[in-house]
Amino acid sequence: MKISKSAKKDAKQCFRDCLVQGRLDQNRARQIVQYIITKKPRDFLAILTHFQRLVKLELNRFTANIESAVAIPETVQGQLRQNLESRYGAGLHYNFHLNPNLIGGMRVRIGSDVFDGSIQARLASLQEGFK
Amino acid sequence: MSTLLQEIEAQITGIKTTMTKQNVGVVREIGDGVAKIEGLADVMMNEMIDFGHGIIGLALNLEETEVGAIILGDYTEIKEGQEVRTTGKLLQVPVGKPMLGRVVNALGEPVDGKGPINTTAAYPVEKIAPGIIKRKSVSQPVQTGIMAIDAMIPIGRGQRELIIGDRSTGKTTICVDTIINQARINRAGEASGDKTYRPLYSIYVAIGQKQSNVARIISVLEEAGAMPYTIIVTATASESATNQYLAPFVGCAMGEWFMDNGMDALIIFDDLSKHAQAYRQVSLILKRPSGREAYPGDVFYLHSRLLERSARLNESSGNGSLTALPIIETQMGDVSAYIPTNVISITDGQIFLETDLFYQGVRPAISVGISVSRVGSAAQIKAMKQVAGRIKLDLAQFRELAAFAQFGSDLDAKTQAQIERGKRIVEVFKQVQYNPMPVENQVAVLWSVQNGFFDNVPVDKVKDCQGKMIDFLANRKTDLMVRIAKDKALNDHLINDLKAAIGEFKQTYKP
Repeated sequence: MKISKSAKKDAKQCFRDCLVQGRLDQNRARQIVQYIITKKPRDFLAILTHFQRLVKLELNRFTANIESAVAIPETVQGQLRQNLESRYGAGLHYNFHLNPNLIGGMRVRIGSDVFDGSIQARLASLQEGFK
Repeated sequence: MSTLLQEIEAQITGIKTTMTKQNVGVVREIGDGVAKIEGLADVMMNEMIDFGHGIIGLALNLEETEVGAIILGDYTEIKEGQEVRTTGKLLQVPVGKPMLGRVVNALGEPVDGKGPINTTAAYPVEKIAPGIIKRKSVSQPVQTGIMAIDAMIPIGRGQRELIIGDRSTGKTTICVDTIINQARINRAGEASGDKTYRPLYSIYVAIGQKQSNVARIISVLEEAGAMPYTIIVTATASESATNQYLAPFVGCAMGEWFMDNGMDALIIFDDLSKHAQAYRQVSLILKRPSGREAYPGDVFYLHSRLLERSARLNESSGNGSLTALPIIETQMGDVSAYIPTNVISITDGQIFLETDLFYQGVRPAISVGISVSRVGSAAQIKAMKQVAGRIKLDLAQFRELAAFAQFGSDLDAKTQAQIERGKRIVEVFKQVQYNPMPVENQVAVLWSVQNGFFDNVPVDKVKDCQGKMIDFLANRKTDLMVRIAKDKALNDHLINDLKAAIGEFKQTYKP
């Protein structure tokens, strides 16, 4: 969908209105979406699409996706949470996944930062080194 | 045995696995050599982005929610949703003397099939030009070997002289002649064993040219033995706009290495009109706002930052230089178009080539009236200044009088003499391509024209007389020519000898 400059600007304004002390207030976001759907302003679909994108990027910034080859014990998960919160601040959302393709180790992704300690990544870098 | 196992176990437990932090993004859109990437929060402007499989991109647009990157190489393998990562490095290319004699692409990779290039240094493609403290005035000449240029529009080391003209007017030929002449001078300088001699290395950057043209230029340079002193950077018409946009910066980085290491280099950008078009293409795909003629707003900055990197450094900064000869192709002789006016205002002068002159047989078709060199006269050798001081004025007067004489009015003897002299000067300045003339020969020819030795030679025989005179001086008066080349100035003694030699030749010459 072609999103016009004015739609982007409106979406950005809506997104700003959802921020409370620099963090996304999910209830406000829901209210804004409801309001736009009810009022149906010009280009409302484009506004909502761009708004959704901004919300998605913001949520990604505070979501830690943790992949591991085997299930991570609770104690290690707690340690991990503590370490990540010391680095990125409190209020992170955690998703733990199992990914056997990693072979061993784990891969943590928060926003665009990736901490890759998996065997798969090491093998890949070894492979690059031989090229 | 058990001790060994314990030792290994201790070693294994001692190993600390470290996780490296990487900044990644996801390709959201890809097409026409440009990718839109989501993520990459830490990416820097002009940073290299790793797309995997050896494909590199360059971050050019840093936006709020995405990054616009140009792909260097084959972008057809990149898929939407693919993960990419930052490298923390700016784009660099190999530089140094091993690059001489090679033909490379816009990434500095060899394309001539002569194997890898063993360089040890690399330079960033984008670099801030040397500041005013590091610079000094242009004072040493670049001998192009083209008499009209060396006499009337001299170029100095560190100068930026624009070569501008319509299609097929001999713009590239002037540059190729200059490269060939540098190689000839370099060979002579090396053979003389003179330790103070400073060779001038050449870099030819082909932007958006036909591959056949580039191949022809390479073969001409090889035939003339100029390749050992030349680097050719190609981004031909068949390559992506990205490569065409990068090529001049890559060539400039290679030239800067020579300059920074106290050497002299000459870089030819053939041509910046196509470079501006390639940049326009990249900018439009990146959805940057367009301005006049759909060029982006920073097209002036694009060329000014490129050409500002040509400089003459002072002794404390190594005394090196980088001379630039950018080429601009005009449409129907219109020098007031957007890109030509931009580049004219950036450079230190221009050599304007005219189609009419070209088809009249005046080759090189330099229009003397609107060609200027703003700083080059400071770099001209004294002998050339002595003989060519008045020649530009004479030629300009001749053009005016010739136009006036077309009305068929009676002319006084003085005016007629001026016209006759002018006709001979025009003839003398005609020169065949790929045949640059040594400066001592130019001095001798111009001196004899100025002193009336050609006045009684019929106009259609001037070239013949000139050729035979040069042969005579080169074969029979070698020591005189060597003295002119060495002294670089005409003193009374030399003038007397030259007068005697040319008088001797004139007695034997029968038109």
